Amino acid sequence: MKHYKKLTIPYIVWCAIFIIIPILLIVLYAFTSGGNSVKTLNFTLSNLAKINEHTYVMVFLKSLELGVITTFICFAAGYPLAYIISRAPEGAQDMLIMAVTIPTWINMLLRTYAWMNLLSDNGIINSLLGLLGIDPVHMMYTDFSVMIGMICNFMPFMIIPIHTSLRKMDRSLIEAAMDLGANPLQTFRRVIFKLSIPGVINGVVMVFLMAISSFVIPKLLGGGQYVLIGNLIESQFISIGDWNFGSAISLILAIIILLAMRLMKKIDLKEAEER
Amino acid sequence: MNKGNGFWAKLYVVLCFAFFYLPIGVTIFFSFNSSKSLSHFTGFSMRWYEALLKNNDIVQAVYVSVTIAVIATIVSTILGTITAIGLSSTGRVLKDAILTMNDIPILNPDIVTAISWMLLFSSLGFSKGYWTMLLAHIGFCTPFVITSVYPKVRSLDPNLANAAMDLGATPFQAMIKVILPAIKTGIYAGVLLSFTMSFDDFVISYFVTGNGVKNISIIVYNMTKRINPIINALSTIVILVIVVILIVVFATPRIRAKKAAAERKMEKELEEEGALPPSGGVKKHRRLGAGFVIALLGVVLVAGSYSAAKKSASAAGKKQQLRVYNAGEYIDMDLLGRFEEEYGCTVVYETFDSNEMLYTKLLAGDQYDILIPSDYMIERLIKEDYLQPIDWSLISNKDSLNPDVMDKEYDPGNVYSVPYFYGSVGILYDKTLVDKADLSEGWNILMDQKYKGNLYMYDSERDSFMVALKALGYSMNTTDEDQIRQAYDWLIRQRKTMKPIYAGDDVIDNMVSGNKAMAVVYSGDGALIMSENENMDFFEPEQGTNIWYDAMVITKDCQNTELAHDFIDFMLQQDVGEQNTEYIGYTSPVTGVYKKMSQTMFKGIDAYQPRSGYAKDEVFRYQTQDVKKLYAQLWTKVKAQ
Repeated sequence: MKHYKKLTIPYIVWCAIFIIIPILLIVLYAFTSGGNSVKTLNFTLSNLAKINEHTYVMVFLKSLELGVITTFICFAAGYPLAYIISRAPEGAQDMLIMAVTIPTWINMLLRTYAWMNLLSDNGIINSLLGLLGIDPVHMMYTDFSVMIGMICNFMPFMIIPIHTSLRKMDRSLIEAAMDLGANPLQTFRRVIFKLSIPGVINGVVMVFLMAISSFVIPKLLGGGQYVLIGNLIESQFISIGDWNFGSAISLILAIIILLAMRLMKKIDLKEAEER
Repeated sequence: MNKGNGFWAKLYVVLCFAFFYLPIGVTIFFSFNSSKSLSHFTGFSMRWYEALLKNNDIVQAVYVSVTIAVIATIVSTILGTITAIGLSSTGRVLKDAILTMNDIPILNPDIVTAISWMLLFSSLGFSKGYWTMLLAHIGFCTPFVITSVYPKVRSLDPNLANAAMDLGATPFQAMIKVILPAIKTGIYAGVLLSFTMSFDDFVISYFVTGNGVKNISIIVYNMTKRINPIINALSTIVILVIVVILIVVFATPRIRAKKAAAERKMEKELEEEGALPPSGGVKKHRRLGAGFVIALLGVVLVAGSYSAAKKSASAAGKKQQLRVYNAGEYIDMDLLGRFEEEYGCTVVYETFDSNEMLYTKLLAGDQYDILIPSDYMIERLIKEDYLQPIDWSLISNKDSLNPDVMDKEYDPGNVYSVPYFYGSVGILYDKTLVDKADLSEGWNILMDQKYKGNLYMYDSERDSFMVALKALGYSMNTTDEDQIRQAYDWLIRQRKTMKPIYAGDDVIDNMVSGNKAMAVVYSGDGALIMSENENMDFFEPEQGTNIWYDAMVITKDCQNTELAHDFIDFMLQQDVGEQNTEYIGYTSPVTGVYKKMSQTMFKGIDAYQPRSGYAKDEVFRYQTQDVKKLYAQLWTKVKAQ
């Protein structure tokens, strides 16, 4: 099929303009000062040094913490669901997985807005509690509301890859384990879970990536004082107008994600070897 | 085999789905509510759907979302598919390089990709809008097409295409007739992924758009600050469209396949034995069917929204255009429609969250005809030469302006600006929860432990620093670094000890329903809240406050100065002013409107009358770059604390 070699040329040009140059621009802005035009360039490390200030370090830590917790909850709640679905009859599996997928295809902002109405002090949940005679619970603008929004939006991305790897699994392995005298728990731990690890890793990476960089969910459900990395970047670009500092934060975020993925890949390889 | 699930497993599945579908169900349910409430269902009504169809801005956004999704899907599918085919015959090194580059937009967080394109477009000097949004969408859809199509190409037997060519087919014919049919499933997956991702995108669109071009997500984002049931109606329609597409794509072929399977059992058996190529028979038909349905749906969607948007699109071609940039929730949108009708023009309307955001946008090269910023920003824009003088001879209603609001320090003699609204900043408090005696603490009541966790601050850099500086007894225009740092410490201490919430316009609905005891608000918002909740009262501390003026200005690169003056004149009309004041609740600079409103809607509400005669009250002034930067940095830190 040598005739088709040239077909990649348009995309190579495209990548150069829309992938390589923009990344270089972020690096350029991160290492220079001189405002929002590229005409004046002064090399500096001050943008990156600024991130080392206590306040910003805390923002990064808070984002990481929230990302890890969200990812863990998505895993802890999503794995059983994926497992249960994988045990359903074939036809039902397709339907259930489609039912998991549909919400992800509906605009995230619209679903987050719905959570605002559900969780607010005089929202739907509180008025239902009121009917039962329970005092309103304060849920909006807390870690809880932000986390609920993230879990609801991101959990499907955990379930689908796990389900895919569970479904692909060779059932005869499970039977073999049972025949060899493993009890159900052992079978699950030693065989089923092991074999689903690639799916788990995929899901973990995806959820973590989305959770750590989200800025809409914390802004809408967390209020103006709820600042995560994404919000920090947004405010530097949209309201404060310090593109240099904003680029520096973005660069660090991209590096964190890269490292997280490296780590996950390593775990995956190690597991694969053991298998 | 141990198949099937027990009762608890089924219950768990039901609970999970309840969680996923709760927001969706609630949205659909309340879109039919007859009242504005989003928590009490008062009766069935279609009024929000009617309002939705009348809202030109939303109809336009739907048009943008649909056309961009369709065009981006088509372009990225073609680009992605030919690249995937080309990759299979590319050398290893180049192939790896391309695939690695291709992974970057997939693996990078959306926000990083978004700002990288924002930087690209502004360095290239592109005017941000429809085209930049479209390019960006093609940019993030194509990698997904390649990742769905490439595995299919790789698993293809290369001899197939070679055989076709040996038999006399041109490379192009071989591609169309042999390769494409074999990788169809991958292409369909790519199409579906591209369309839904483009249709739902917010983050990337938000950063790369401009000049009033908004998609559905951006419009929802702008509307979320206040209770707005129209969003629910819009959501319901979006949900319906997505579900219909999914059902058509997935369910129809399955049903048809089942029917066909019975009829063609024989053929299928042969297929499995390898006697027939897998793409023959039933599958071919059902894939063709699915493709056809997708295409049809696309056409219907485009046609539908096209007819709706045609009006405004053709109008843009012939009619004059006015680009207005105003704060969010700061005009009765019906008035824009009325202005468009009366003057035979189109208004491109865009909103900002803060004066700082407006300034950043102008700096980035976005162009507008009319801006409605606040005093200190007007002073900055005048100094930095962004504005042109008002031709007062074109403003027939100039005599109706209240002389008290004219000729202020930010624009002496009103050379560049025509007042829009004005007011002060104060504390709105719940009379049933706040002890009147505590009011004597002035701004320091915001530091009173009695009200810990029970107050809203205003999410605005200058207003928050104003509160802190006034509480400390300084001028809110101070340039003394030590004083500014003290104010910063005050704000940090307040955040730590009082746990305030930094609210935007959502404070209005929250205080109307009495969610907290106190809130720092603009006098106009205070008046509006008091007119709806009689427990509320408003006070301006003796320590002084910010007296602010928002005014209409015309930019230097305004394309239609006559129309811009017409707009300003229009906003000063008595009936227009009344309608706008009723919607927003702020104090009008038009004497007649002010008098009428203080007799009707705001009768007995003192917040409607900004106070005068307090020596410590100030107007915000221009800050030099250095001071501005210091404030901005400290504010970022207060919020990130």
